Amino acid sequence: MKIINSHKNVSLEYEEDLILKIESLAFKHYPNEFGGFLIGYYSDDLKTLVLTDVLSPNEYKSHRVLFERSAEGIKEKLLELFNLNEKRYYVGEWHSHPDASSMYSLTDLNAMQSIAESETIRIKNPILLIVSINNQKLKNYTFYLYDNNTLFEYGRK
Amino acid sequence: MATDKTQHLQQVLETHRMAHIEKLLDKYKEKRQEVKEALEENYKDKIYNPINSGSYAKHTAINIKFDLDIVVPFKRNSFDTLEEMFNDVFDFLYEKYKDVAEVRKQKVSIGIIFDADDNGDEINIDVVVGRELNQDQYTEDRNLNLFVNSQYGLLDEKTYIQTNIQAQIDHIKGKNNERSIIRLLKIWKTTNNESYKSFFLELITIKAFDKESISGNLWDKLKSVMEYIKENITKDNFTLKDPGNTNNDVADTLEDWEKANLSNKMSNMISNIENNSDNIKTYFPINEEFKEEEDENKGQYGLKDASIVAPSIPNKSQQFG
Ligand SMILES: [Zn+2]
Repeated sequence: MKIINSHKNVSLEYEEDLILKIESLAFKHYPNEFGGFLIGYYSDDLKTLVLTDVLSPNEYKSHRVLFERSAEGIKEKLLELFNLNEKRYYVGEWHSHPDASSMYSLTDLNAMQSIAESETIRIKNPILLIVSINNQKLKNYTFYLYDNNTLFEYGRK
Repeated sequence: MATDKTQHLQQVLETHRMAHIEKLLDKYKEKRQEVKEALEENYKDKIYNPINSGSYAKHTAINIKFDLDIVVPFKRNSFDTLEEMFNDVFDFLYEKYKDVAEVRKQKVSIGIIFDADDNGDEINIDVVVGRELNQDQYTEDRNLNLFVNSQYGLLDEKTYIQTNIQAQIDHIKGKNNERSIIRLLKIWKTTNNESYKSFFLELITIKAFDKESISGNLWDKLKSVMEYIKENITKDNFTLKDPGNTNNDVADTLEDWEKANLSNKMSNMISNIENNSDNIKTYFPINEEFKEEEDENKGQYGLKDASIVAPSIPNKSQQFG
């Protein structure tokens, strides 16, 4: 799957399997929220971001309309991925919205801003994936690109 | 909005690169070559090959302050005294350039300041005149005696200094991490009108890297060096040996009160920057003249470093709603 962010004119690629994996993680915690870290890599020309996997937090708090993930123990895992021959790294965040739309909340925007401004984060445009689920199925999902204190939605090609 | 300290420092270094002033630099190099050839033609086998020195040769130059110096090594038997040698070179350069430049005697060198050209560029070249210590040994040991023009010093000061400019240049060769920090400290000193000598900042930075384990991102490294200066400069037994002459202690060029002052300055800078990252811009400003406007929509994902050199590591908890 390839989708485009027209604000920055960049694209995002991922396999359907990855969405299935995320869907099953989200269902496991329904009716509470769940989420984690998005892993992938940029193409050499930095025009395309390829998502390859998700990494779940070691510690988290999960509620109906709140998800808090800690960063505990994540550094080691990320360094391991970064040192692979096929370098993989942190590119953003995902979480579920049980029985709600995939529109981001103000809390989500603030979290993304704090992440992008953190000195240990070396990318300027982390992405955010929100998956909207109900008790039966994944309703839909939206990818956002963070840029200049704003989240911009990716659209289908 | 908070400032990303490492990203800012990288931009500071980038906007102070010599590459931004290539045309001016070419004029400098052309003049330097011209002066070199004139000296070679005049002194023939009285001298060895002149060498380039100064911050440009050491790769620690910044585009708001830099020197292109020429060192002219004379043979031991070329002149009876160092003073005669110094004056002879001065007279030669004065006669040659008096109509197009101001030629003047400086403490250990002769300065040639060429009149501004059509673009208003004033090129200035320093010529350092030295004499080998022992006949025919320069090519082996590179040791030189320089005449000290005493009108610039105390009357009872000695009239020559021994140095080894090649050893000073070699001392910093290949030290890329150190060079970035030296350039940042020189930007701090130049833009904040601090009077510390570049050579002093150079030696203390190299010593900090030797004595401490200095790693991490650019800010981590700069901070570690500043902490090293803060902790060590006031110690009684602290020395900075001149690689050109180990009898020279460059730390001695500062009085005790100046050392205490420097230590305090480092301490204040570190805490002011840690308390509010925006303060880094006051101490280490970007050279606005060469700041490139970032094109926010150029069709690329943004990186804070020039390439993915360091992985992104989320280091705190985040709440999503
Ligand atoms: Zn949310």
